[in-house]
Amino acid sequence: MAESSKRGDGIEYATKAELKQAQRQVAMVFDLNKCLGCQTCVVACKTLWTRDEGMEYMWWATVNTKPGKGTPRDWEQMGGGFEDGVPRAGQLPTRRDFGDAWEFNHEEVFFGGKGKDAHLKPSGEPDWGPNWDEDQGGGQYPNSFYFYLPRICNHCTNPACLEACPRNAIYKREEDGIVLISEDRCKGYRFCMEACPYKKIYFNHARQMSQKCIFCFPRVEQGVAPACARQCPGRLRFVGYLDDEDGPIYKLVNKWKVALPLHPEYGTQPNIYYVPPISPPRFDASGNLDESKPRIPTEYLRYLFGDKVDGALATLQAEMAKTKAGGKSELLDTLIVYEWKNLFGPFTQDPAELEPRKA
Amino acid sequence: MQCIRVPTARDRLLDPMASEWSGVAGEAIALGATPLANQPSEYVKASRNEDDVGKVRNVMVQTAHDGNEIFIRLSWEDAQKNVEVTETNMFPDACGVLMPLNGDDAPIDEMGSQGAPVNAWYWRAGAEDEAHNMVAHGLGTTRPAASATIEARSVWGHGAWSVVFARALAGEPEAAVDLAPGRSVRIGFAVWEGSNGERAGIKSFSKEWRELALQP
Ligand code: HEM
Ligand code: SF4
Ligand code: SF4
Repeated sequence: MAESSKRGDGIEYATKAELKQAQRQVAMVFDLNKCLGCQTCVVACKTLWTRDEGMEYMWWATVNTKPGKGTPRDWEQMGGGFEDGVPRAGQLPTRRDFGDAWEFNHEEVFFGGKGKDAHLKPSGEPDWGPNWDEDQGGGQYPNSFYFYLPRICNHCTNPACLEACPRNAIYKREEDGIVLISEDRCKGYRFCMEACPYKKIYFNHARQMSQKCIFCFPRVEQGVAPACARQCPGRLRFVGYLDDEDGPIYKLVNKWKVALPLHPEYGTQPNIYYVPPISPPRFDASGNLDESKPRIPTEYLRYLFGDKVDGALATLQAEMAKTKAGGKSELLDTLIVYEWKNLFGPFTQDPAELEPRKA
Repeated sequence: MQCIRVPTARDRLLDPMASEWSGVAGEAIALGATPLANQPSEYVKASRNEDDVGKVRNVMVQTAHDGNEIFIRLSWEDAQKNVEVTETNMFPDACGVLMPLNGDDAPIDEMGSQGAPVNAWYWRAGAEDEAHNMVAHGLGTTRPAASATIEARSVWGHGAWSVVFARALAGEPEAAVDLAPGRSVRIGFAVWEGSNGERAGIKSFSKEWRELALQP
């Protein structure tokens, strides 16, 4: 089935299998050991894609402290995805759950003539925001811990959103597997929002349609990496094709098996993979380091990334030990990213060097 | 179901509360849940219980024409009006009318089929009354057919919605069922209860076509 037929006439009669079909799959790997929680990716995405009316509360890219409730609040308790291959009921996250877009008293502070008596503050009494529980984390001092979890739509191989839409408005692009919502077809029914277990779909109230991360496809088509990846100062967002055996994605996911999908039990087969965080040892009761126990409980990482996380952590530690002993490690060289552009596979084009598109 | 010919002014017929409507005999139509088996989404099938689908079980239907236009008035009890959609989990109340576009064999419980399209008129509660003319060729295939215009007016009061649809009798090939004095067409009705999260295929509908006879 050609790309054009997925977008155009006849899409309403396509089978879900046809809509899910893709020749290749773009993917990302996020190395959680390097994320600073600086939110540059989040703002890069916001600035590029979600500035219009109706998009105020949208953050297609988010970074939250883990452990934590995340964005939207408690999304991991909202259902969706699949159980034994059967769709599982999910909740509709509300704008409040996402943290909404706070209104501020800019007018009063800047033009109200109140001098130093007026202070910038949100109107009302917000009780949640996209990063409300930032840096709280878990554990007890001196074994408290946290790490950052960046998230975007996973451009799943078996997307729950696509499966849920009664109008076939959601499809995977034939050439790269990017999951898109057709603006022509979407009527804002929001079954996708219920069904996505990662809660990465937003409802645009102004346009009465659902919207989500588009993997910066207009950039990708020009060989430019998605904005969140290119802007990341932590250099941890790898981009490429899953089947590119020379690229870092294939090496990390398939060869070294150190990059794992988030909540694989949701059954959607995500295409965003995570290198799990390695942590220093725990302190025991007498205040000494207990080298046998990591500060971040492995149980918690299993909850996030499944049982394969043990193998991934073991491989990372073995390779680190190898380099400590003076050896060389292809895995660590890949993760270190000596050359910034090596993050981006075939998507190294500098957008500033492209001809601006005619409007 | 008789669609009587009346000399009444159009702005009166367009007003759901106009006293003239009390002189137009109506028919109470029983509505039932759309069958889960027909929902074109494995997710919807797996996540809903048919007993909870289609909260509105009755709609009163009155129709009249003036030789140029047809007016269809639907009214149903609804203690709570759902108009605004300011949260992601809010859905507006809505109603619709369905007619086979050309020929009588279109299945009502699947919104027509590829070979037998249906013409749907759709109103939903909002800041302004908006009505849409649509064509469907089976489940999940509704498309706007904006070449034909539908007007609608609505009033909510005393725990009930009253909605009047108006359209020129003359139809348009591929887009709008052709009506004329003396002609008979098949017709069906649907209501979406916003507070019950009803939208798309989640609604109540008249399980069989009715015959609508336009008085010559
Ligand atoms: C007389 C009965 C019916 C009427 C008047 C009717 C009317 C409509 C209208 C106007 C829409 C578009 C709603 C929108 O734009 O928000 C729609 C959508 C839909 N209807 Fe029906 N319908 C009827 C019966 C049924 C039945 C029995 C089913 C079976 C499950 C069904 C399944 C659907 C589905 C899945 C959608 C959403 C997909 C789409 O937008 O095409 N309908 N219907
Ligand atoms: S993460 Fe959610 S929205 Fe994105 S493809 Fe998967 S199911 Fe769909
Ligand atoms: S830009 Fe990079 S380092 Fe900063 S929060 Fe995003 S993923 Fe983490």
